[in-house]
Amino acid sequence: MISKNQAIRVLNSGLTTGADYAEIYIEEKDTFAVSIENGKVENSVIRHSYGAGIRLLNKLQSVYGYTNEVNEKSLTKLIQNLSNSFHEKQCIKVDKLVTKKAKDLSAVEQSFSTVDDNMIIDYIKRGEKVLREYDKRIVRTGVSLSYSITKVQIVSTKGINHLDYKERARCGLSCVAAEQGKIETGAVGPGASAGFEFFLKNINIEALAEETARKTIMMLEAKECPSGKMPVVIGNGFGGTLFHEACGHPLEASMVSKNLSVFSGKIGQQIASPILSAIDDGTIPNGWGSNNIDDEGNKTERTVLIENGILRNYLIDDFNGRRMGSKGNGASRRQSYKYEPTSRMSNTYICAGKSTPEEIIKATKFGLYAKSLAGGQVNPVTGEFNFGCSEAYLIRDGKICEPVRGASVIGTGPDILMKIDMIGNDLERAQGMCGAGSGFIPVDVGQPTIRISEITVGGNGGELK
Amino acid sequence: MKLNDKKFFELAKESGLESADLSVSESSSLSISLFHGEIDSFTNNDSFELVARGIYKGKMGSISVDNVNKNSPERLVKEIKRSASIIENDDPVFIFKGSDKYHKKNVSKNADFSENIQEKVGILKEIEKKLFAFDKRINEVINVGFDASSHTYKKTNSYGLKLSQKMSTYAYYAQVSAKSGDEVRTGFYVFASFDGNEFNIDEFVEKTAKDALEKLGSVQCDSKKYPVVLNPECVATLLSFLISSLDAEEVQKHTSLLEGKLGQEVLSKKLTVIENPLAKNLFFRYFDDEGVATEKKFLFKKGVVSTYLHTLQTAAKDGVLPTGNGYGAGTKAKADVGYVEVKAGKKSEDEMLSTIKEGVYLTELQGLHSGMNAQSGNFSLQCSGFMIRDGKKAEPLALITVADNLINVFKNIKCVANNTKLVIGNQTSCPSILVGKMAISGK
Repeated sequence: MISKNQAIRVLNSGLTTGADYAEIYIEEKDTFAVSIENGKVENSVIRHSYGAGIRLLNKLQSVYGYTNEVNEKSLTKLIQNLSNSFHEKQCIKVDKLVTKKAKDLSAVEQSFSTVDDNMIIDYIKRGEKVLREYDKRIVRTGVSLSYSITKVQIVSTKGINHLDYKERARCGLSCVAAEQGKIETGAVGPGASAGFEFFLKNINIEALAEETARKTIMMLEAKECPSGKMPVVIGNGFGGTLFHEACGHPLEASMVSKNLSVFSGKIGQQIASPILSAIDDGTIPNGWGSNNIDDEGNKTERTVLIENGILRNYLIDDFNGRRMGSKGNGASRRQSYKYEPTSRMSNTYICAGKSTPEEIIKATKFGLYAKSLAGGQVNPVTGEFNFGCSEAYLIRDGKICEPVRGASVIGTGPDILMKIDMIGNDLERAQGMCGAGSGFIPVDVGQPTIRISEITVGGNGGELK
Repeated sequence: MKLNDKKFFELAKESGLESADLSVSESSSLSISLFHGEIDSFTNNDSFELVARGIYKGKMGSISVDNVNKNSPERLVKEIKRSASIIENDDPVFIFKGSDKYHKKNVSKNADFSENIQEKVGILKEIEKKLFAFDKRINEVINVGFDASSHTYKKTNSYGLKLSQKMSTYAYYAQVSAKSGDEVRTGFYVFASFDGNEFNIDEFVEKTAKDALEKLGSVQCDSKKYPVVLNPECVATLLSFLISSLDAEEVQKHTSLLEGKLGQEVLSKKLTVIENPLAKNLFFRYFDDEGVATEKKFLFKKGVVSTYLHTLQTAAKDGVLPTGNGYGAGTKAKADVGYVEVKAGKKSEDEMLSTIKEGVYLTELQGLHSGMNAQSGNFSLQCSGFMIRDGKKAEPLALITVADNLINVFKNIKCVANNTKLVIGNQTSCPSILVGKMAISGK
């Protein structure tokens, strides 16, 4: 980290060629991960990272660079190199900086910096034992815990010297089941912005392990999923991947501001079924995708994206906001100092509706029940998205029937949002990593159980009968 | 600041480490991207990564950092001991003394970042202009950019082994959208080489624009099983997952599709795949991350599984020689491959297509991270391409899925064409392949 006076001198040395904004983002991050396989500690990863990224803006032009030598001399050299891209008269100057320590949204009682490695190992061993002993067809298990402790300083020509501290941790449980040449895998990965106490109090690792093992063994016995167009009921929690891909990414200002998104210019218009409302909330205490401040120093926000089917807001960072004539709404994020920040999601979810999950299944004559999803992908320009199912069943006559494996679901965002015809009252969030323009960042997806009236399902099991 | 290697190795020895090694990656890169004639993003970076490993009380410990200072030797040794102290696995660990022979070659010059950036911006502006002018249906150039990077990788260890190699890459990329009525399709193309000398703007513009234009008018086909032609990109993608089943660790832990299949013919006789990390191209590697010399070798020869891919640890467990496939940081290397070649067949792609009355030609597979189960080989993926009717490519297809199993696909090869193409993202050169039948889901 650097002093305010050093920061003022560095910023000013980059402003002489006409930049209208300059920002220094300094990040020090310690990461630790330990993994157990088949009962024994197999791997440990320790990483220390410390560096600074500098960004200069001039209207709609951005120049970015980074260095891992965080001192006045090398930061000055970097900012002066970057400023050579501009050739105008100086338009701003920094006289003083006010220090603001970001308010902690996620209380940490037992910082990972004080937790002995063996306490973490003991915790994950409890889950691994349940996983391994569940069924003799489970041939391989893996349980891990990783945490990061990050200190951030953001100084910019806005005149603020932001200081932030965050801890995040995530557990991973996975297993492989095999029987007569058939192999299936199962995995789950709960995470939070929190200290170790959050895991001990809130995450029942034995129960998670049992559920993961049960699902994997069941999928071993599942038949191939049939293919074709059909109604699909998507389970709560990680089912929110659908909304994340189909709607979340196309609402990011990086695409919207350039008029590249299927949802560009549609504020105030009906883009989804009137029963659907959706939120991106970076302020949820202990949320995996939460942040005290975003990576431009703005406070994170709870943003209503869709209200009763009407598009209300986009996710905006300050730079892309310039094209849109809007201010950032706390959505600017990056993987590390090596990435230029841009608009990204945080904790994004579909709000709870009125139906019970049982009512939704009962109202479906034939279709697919995608209880749990494995991840997805979207092309924000065309709106085409896909996701895979990690646990799925066929629905016949309003009842959940046989499990099916190898199901994938594809569609276009604008079409599918209109086809959501039932929403459950069982909202849940789940944790994932989202990869896009500014790298991989932690995000929550979430939704209650929902039903899509018709969507294309891919699988190797022939027609639905 | 540079790390004092000598001090690190001395301290490692004094602190009880049996042996230790250091891997250092240093790179410089320049990226420029344009939007509507203006520089939308410009980045210029120097980056540094160091991985230090050591054996302490018979276990491997490791730490990675992206900066060093005068206290680094002490910190690295301390964290290696912390990391090694918690390992319980009894598998043998090694810091490698060195291979008998290394095939070191100078394959690329260092990228020159001092050249005129304005000239690159001029090229990007010309590309953007020509893309818009190519066809009136090209309604947007989503991005057009240039990346250059120069990379040095060095490995040293307490046995005195010293290895290093330099690489540089120049790449141009562009993404466009094409519009007809309400339909929007995107197209993307990337050109990469050592020095950018062979770059041809007009050819690049044509490939990028056509990738989007050819998709206009896309429909969904009927859901059923079709003969499927996989273009080189799709072949390279599916092959990379099949190759991951050659990882000896997966085999030893009973989670590989190819367990117990070494020396057996499990795939089509028409399929021969070679790993050639010593080929003089962008992917040249003469030693792996453990310091073992790489070699050219068959992975699959006429459908027979020719080798598993070994790290030092898996090779010791199987009592075989390491294969130069140990990659990755951390206390444990993971098997991976460098540049891969698929042996071409004799027929042209058109001749191969002419044998198909009705089929599907796939050009893109998506959603691999969720729709591909590398362990079971089962996949169900979003894809796009073209119908094949009466031996020729017909209407474009979008929003369809393909589902099958990797072993089935490579067992059911009916023809391997001769249109070999380098697929940069997969480090693979391969032609198109005709597969018997695969389940396609659309309407």
